Amino acid sequence: MKSDDTLREINELTIALVGLSLSNEQNFPSTYGTKNESFEITVKNAASLTVALRNVSYRDIYESLLEAGCFNMKLLDGALVCLRYRFKGGEVIEHSLSYFPSPDLEHFQNDPEAYLSDDIYADIVSRRIVAFPIRFDFNADAGRYVDVDHPYSHLTLGQYENCRIPVCSPVTPLAFGSFILRNFYNTAFQKLSNELPESRFRFDRTISPNEQQIAHLVLTSLCSTPRN
Amino acid sequence: MINTVWGSTVKPVSSKQLAETLAAEKALEGTLYIGYPIIGTPEGSFPIDALLVSSKKGLILFNLIEGREVGQYQDEQDEAFNKMQAKLLQHQSLIHKRKLRVDIHTLTFAPALANISGHTEDGYPLCNSANLLSTIEALDNQDGDVFTSLVSVIQAISTLRRGRRRRDLKDPDSKGSKIKALEDSIANLDMQQSAAVVETFEGVQRIRGLAGSGKTTVLALKAAYLHARHPDWNIAVTFHTRSLKKQFEALITTFVLEQANAEPDWEKLRILNAWGAPGGPERAGIYYEFCKDHGVEYFDYQNAKIKFPENKEFEGACNIALESAKLITQGYDAIFVDEAQDFAPNFLLLCYELLKAPKRLVYAYDELQNLGTRSLPPMEEIFGNLPDGSPRVVLHPEEPGKPKQDIILDTCYRNSRPVLTTAHALGFGIYRSSGLVQIFENSHLWLDVGYEIARGELKDGKSVTLQRSPKSSPEWLERHSTIDDLISFEVFDSEEAQTNRLIKGICENLSTDELLPDDIIVINPDPLTTKSAVGNARRILMQQGVNSNLAGVTNSADSFSEPGTVTFTGIFRAKGNEAAMVYIINAQDCFSAFRPRDLARVRNRLFTAITRSKAWVRVLGIGPKMLQLKEEFERAKELDFRLEFRYPTEAERKEITIVNRDMSKVEKERLSQKQQSLIDLLISLESGETFIEDYPEDIVKKLEVIFNRKIRRETI
Repeated sequence: MKSDDTLREINELTIALVGLSLSNEQNFPSTYGTKNESFEITVKNAASLTVALRNVSYRDIYESLLEAGCFNMKLLDGALVCLRYRFKGGEVIEHSLSYFPSPDLEHFQNDPEAYLSDDIYADIVSRRIVAFPIRFDFNADAGRYVDVDHPYSHLTLGQYENCRIPVCSPVTPLAFGSFILRNFYNTAFQKLSNELPESRFRFDRTISPNEQQIAHLVLTSLCSTPRN
Repeated sequence: MINTVWGSTVKPVSSKQLAETLAAEKALEGTLYIGYPIIGTPEGSFPIDALLVSSKKGLILFNLIEGREVGQYQDEQDEAFNKMQAKLLQHQSLIHKRKLRVDIHTLTFAPALANISGHTEDGYPLCNSANLLSTIEALDNQDGDVFTSLVSVIQAISTLRRGRRRRDLKDPDSKGSKIKALEDSIANLDMQQSAAVVETFEGVQRIRGLAGSGKTTVLALKAAYLHARHPDWNIAVTFHTRSLKKQFEALITTFVLEQANAEPDWEKLRILNAWGAPGGPERAGIYYEFCKDHGVEYFDYQNAKIKFPENKEFEGACNIALESAKLITQGYDAIFVDEAQDFAPNFLLLCYELLKAPKRLVYAYDELQNLGTRSLPPMEEIFGNLPDGSPRVVLHPEEPGKPKQDIILDTCYRNSRPVLTTAHALGFGIYRSSGLVQIFENSHLWLDVGYEIARGELKDGKSVTLQRSPKSSPEWLERHSTIDDLISFEVFDSEEAQTNRLIKGICENLSTDELLPDDIIVINPDPLTTKSAVGNARRILMQQGVNSNLAGVTNSADSFSEPGTVTFTGIFRAKGNEAAMVYIINAQDCFSAFRPRDLARVRNRLFTAITRSKAWVRVLGIGPKMLQLKEEFERAKELDFRLEFRYPTEAERKEITIVNRDMSKVEKERLSQKQQSLIDLLISLESGETFIEDYPEDIVKKLEVIFNRKIRRETI
């Protein structure tokens, strides 16, 4: 069952990042509903996530999520990872996977030894970096779907309202985790990637032919089963 | 004898006369507070001019009149009486049925008024120096049995009780029940602490005390007291460890709410980092604002690191700021610096420069926090000299009738005697087979920090046995558990065995011991290995449903422990924090150091780690070094936690400090070059490439003398 697989992957990802000391704080995922009907996997105080949709400064978004403890993992540099999935009849109907980096490494100023002593931080202390949030959203609702303009599964960068880069399928927790680590914690990833569990399942493909004509994201070569 | 606690007053002349007149009367007993308390009322804060608490007379409230204008002094007495009565009625211990058991007397003291008879009204005593004592004598006497409760209410200063932890306790003998009882007992201030809060010195004041003596609480309440007393003053509170910020906010808010019935005005009373960075009030810092306000170059840490030697980054930055600022704007009325031992002295100087006369700078520090390595220089040196060569700030000896300038808090409420003495024994290497690791240059410091001499003499070359006194280490801190439960050292043969023990211990703490996850911290003393050292333990705990957090390098550094999770931390982040149950892992790293000069540093880490515990400590470690560390502990335990050793002579002390001195980067480089030349020399001599006779005779002779002296010392 995909919902079981998903839940198991979230736990595996969390425990792996804890064991690698990449996650400083973490919450166990909460679940609602029954597996055969409507089933939701979410994080505590998920209501706070709506702040991310409002027109407030990114710092305020980050602060309110942090304060509410609304995250699956807080990574070593303060970035928050939130994973939410909804299933109906065992099929994924919605997900929101977000990565909210800390707007500044304020603590670096006060306790630099902690950073400089460890090359894991090499990626994040560079001054050129602009931290920006990343969201992988999926919604199976055909009423909201607009070919190319609003793909079922899409990537939004930096909270830009109309940024919806098509993604070939819904994204599994471990695929999301390794995407974040590979790109934004590369030093750690290089060092530790063999200790990360691999995703063992895929969601069905949802991307349309037109969407494949523009810049889009293929997360894995295996997302090739077409959605019926 | 009257003990006077000098708070801040707007009526200095009459206050002084009052204190002097009362102090001169030997038969009077009790404590006189000047400028304290402040009572929160619906109309705002109501300061009492002065208050005498005496076992014989109960409570006497003084209205002070600086001049000759008496006015409606009766109304003021009524008001003071009513406010005080309302305050005391909140305390069950002072009430019988519906009546207050304490007599509140009011008295107006107008020392400048020569003729008082014309103004007096019956029931409203009005005095000058001539009839003050006789008027007090004529007041009704107080029942004796309520006095103890009264004193504790007055000196409690603030209801500091921590409401954060809700404990669901079933077993009255569990660790959870014990820690709750301990927390309740230390929630109130003792006499020494409460006097330290109120004592306001018009100038530079320092507070010394061990970890756990309440320095931070005292400092926070001092700032809050001055803020409540003088809401228009610009006051700053600053510190080294970020995680203290929340603690300061909580303490100050509680106090100001109680005393002024209002939220603190955070524009006037500011809690600031020392360093700071651009980017709004949350990031503000004393140094950053100094640079900004005076148009001098600001260094962030990364730039400071390039520019200045290692460990001198902030010192270097402050120096440049102080040197380049032409005319310094004196914007603050009072500045409070906590953890001053962690700053270079010139940061204190920078704060001093920012203050208006009379330069109320209060700094708290712990001479033992870094054990012997670095201590603040005397006050006279920190603040430099006047043009005539005399110091700008002088530490005055204590004088009766004057506020104290130097406050020592010598009671340690955090660590019990066995825990604290173990930390000292291991930190100094008292029972180390190859001798002391470090020692105070000034032997008197042992007494200042609450030790007493049990046997022998605290003199160079003499044997001495030191022990904590019942006053400096209260017995109730250790009575709740057996010695073996308070502190244990456990040796393992593998990292896995250590991890298993840790996990088993934590799971037991959470189940049968009724501790909460945030009662537990796990400290790894080597800052470089923390992340790899704790990964496995955290992963296994997570799999067993126990959540943990790695206190570290995130930007929510304002808080340390998270409710519902066990905290894992490296030694730097552990500083300034505390928990009921402390696990120290990989303690073997603290036994010895690869480079002899790092020995003191690793021993200090162990000291810091052990002293984080409010009740129980488990020191875990691996291998033969851990075994030797455990032997040192066993020795301390055998001697009932006394420190028994021969006090080193001056020459020996010099040797110890030479071995342990902190070296700058450049010094280290030079040393390693020299070590290399020495090794080259040795190889050359041993291989027969050169002979000792090839080298200048006088230099060889000198070396011979140095080596012999060293050998002789080691055989003593």
